[in-house]
Amino acid sequence: MLNDIFIAPFVDMFTAPDFLMQVLWEGLVSGILYALIALGFVLIFRSSRIFNFAQGIMVVFAALSLVGLFAMGVPAWISVGLTLGVMFVLAVVIERVVLRPLVGQPDIILFMATIGITLFLIGFGETIFGGENKVMITEELGIPTGDTVLEPFDGLLILQHLDITVVVVATLLVLGLLAFLNYTQMGRAIRALGDDHQAALSVGISLQTIWVLVWFIAGIIALVTGIAWGARAGVSFALEVIAYKALPVLMLGGLESITGAIVGGLMIGILEKLFEIYWGQPLLGGNTETWFAFVLALIVLLFRPQGLFGERIIERV
Amino acid sequence: MKHFTKLAAAAALGTVLGTAAVAQELYTPNLAYRTGPFAATGIPLMNGQADYMTLLNERDGGIGGAKIDFEECETGYSTEKGVECYEKTKGKAIVTQPWSTGITLQVLPKTNVDQIPILAPGYGFSPMADGKVFQWAFNVPSGYWDAADMIVQYLEQDGSLEGKKIAFLHLDHPYGKEPLPLLEKLAGEKGFELLPIPVGLKEMQNQSAQWLQIRRERPDNVVMWGWGAMNAGAITEAVKTKYPMENFIGVWWAGHDADLKLVGDDGKGYKSISWSFPNPDAPVMKELKERVFDAGLSQSNAEEMQGVFYGRGVVMSMILSEAIQGAQKNFGTAEIDASQLRWGLENLNITEERLAELGMAGMVPPFSTSCANHTGHSGGWMLEWDGSKFVKASDLLTPNTAGYSDLIGSAASEYATANAPWAVNEECSATN
Repeated sequence: MLNDIFIAPFVDMFTAPDFLMQVLWEGLVSGILYALIALGFVLIFRSSRIFNFAQGIMVVFAALSLVGLFAMGVPAWISVGLTLGVMFVLAVVIERVVLRPLVGQPDIILFMATIGITLFLIGFGETIFGGENKVMITEELGIPTGDTVLEPFDGLLILQHLDITVVVVATLLVLGLLAFLNYTQMGRAIRALGDDHQAALSVGISLQTIWVLVWFIAGIIALVTGIAWGARAGVSFALEVIAYKALPVLMLGGLESITGAIVGGLMIGILEKLFEIYWGQPLLGGNTETWFAFVLALIVLLFRPQGLFGERIIERV
Repeated sequence: MKHFTKLAAAAALGTVLGTAAVAQELYTPNLAYRTGPFAATGIPLMNGQADYMTLLNERDGGIGGAKIDFEECETGYSTEKGVECYEKTKGKAIVTQPWSTGITLQVLPKTNVDQIPILAPGYGFSPMADGKVFQWAFNVPSGYWDAADMIVQYLEQDGSLEGKKIAFLHLDHPYGKEPLPLLEKLAGEKGFELLPIPVGLKEMQNQSAQWLQIRRERPDNVVMWGWGAMNAGAITEAVKTKYPMENFIGVWWAGHDADLKLVGDDGKGYKSISWSFPNPDAPVMKELKERVFDAGLSQSNAEEMQGVFYGRGVVMSMILSEAIQGAQKNFGTAEIDASQLRWGLENLNITEERLAELGMAGMVPPFSTSCANHTGHSGGWMLEWDGSKFVKASDLLTPNTAGYSDLIGSAASEYATANAPWAVNEECSATN
């Protein structure tokens, strides 16, 4: 038993380094996608203290809007533009109809409101788009398909062009987002709201504008995530469950930290894949990915309740 | 006062007529799932089922003069919601169609008490084949153990399975685990190594870990018990990892056209065992198009109607309508009740001739049921994806039920013991 836990996995890694590289690559791709979803949560939480339960359904809604518009005969890239428009309108409507009337209410009320948004978008989306699985317009968007096969250590490493594109686009999106938050007036306003609501409002930052902005950015992230996941296994309401993969990422990285979302996503993506392949499948019969990330996050919470990068809140009584 | 008397008389007459109208209905609820993560596979099946019943209502005025009330109760494939739907509909239902093995397992003990037949075509708990023990449950025309046996038989056509490795990629759910007892038995008998690989509900669309395991273990074949988004996820991963498609076989719920269209030509060679076959040229399909689809009474679309799942939905409703018709004839009434429908389901005799009369020749193999045999064990065909549609890749395969009748019997008695007191059909002997 001790051999199976402490020696055999590492021997496997050493004797088949090409396979280890494949596992790490798959983990990296998953991790970046987890990080993307988590970013959507973090942005909204930072600016409004709302845990946005609707992030998963926003991914579905964005992807369905894209393929739905394309199916209506709209060219692919114009469909992307129009989908961004749809996400913007959604952000405005959510701010006006749901959030604005609830300003000043306890956090749990706002959280419940996002559950309401989720249920509404499920019903609304199913009415408009139907529940059938749809094919993502990968080729029409010019996203490369096919693969590159490498032979490191006389082995085999398959890199899907789609995955490479996802890694590049997601990285650029994250870098762009960081630049926006750090070097633009609006970005700094979002951060200011995250740091201190009252102070930010007192210097004239508009809560409504910022909320629309962050929900729209979350919509952009949802669209990119939807394209990436949809290209892998089709676009359907099943995509919604992917959002749950972001929960342990948030627990691990901290709800307020963009760095935490990125590092947490990558850590969980890579570690859960390594654990599943080298320990989970041989020793536990597999399917450890359903719980590994949560256990990892819980262990971190035992030592850092605010997550790896979250801010420690000290309340004096 | 005169007005009041007239009003009362009219109300009384209305009540009588209304009651008569309701009595002429056959309430056959369907615990459908057109929403949620499994909707993509549910919708074409539900459409096929509903459209056939609409056709009977429109063309024949129902069955035997009684209109069919084919109400859907939405479960989203959730077991909890399924149980709620069962409780909500059981009052006047003459049958329950639970969909999902999880819901079937939950309502199975309830139906034995409530005395409502379960109709679970091609799904549910495999030991339901034992009609003496499961007197109210029917998984016609073939069960999961039949499917597993036929897949193993098909693989054996290329030579002995001794020393081979077969990966069993399955949804980590009661449905996915259902064939495991038989596959384990067959692995022992035939000498192949069985490698179960579960896929969690949240991992359906990202199965890279499972397919990395397949790449590492290099199984000779992959057998899939997938559902919903899991099928598309597995097929795209198989393409990605360059697993030979001709060695990849799914159960009948993993043979959905829309899942394969995601990969198109890359999926060529993928197979799926199936007890139904779509035949867009069959007379019934033409009637469905003319009387239901063109009349705007269908939720389906032209492309979906060509597919395997829509055709299977049509066959499912045909099975139910045949059972109703048989019961009506036997009991001499259009207004059959649940116990009379049970008789109908227990005395199904779907022959080639009858299928031809129904305009469904070749859409399902002939089969019959009895009080002891609630599955029918029709067998099925191995279908193969040719890049744009499923085509037949084998003659009719029939399950070797004698090889696992003991397993059915023992699993059925174990279930009855665990759920004691469990009413069995004492009048039924194994030879009935």
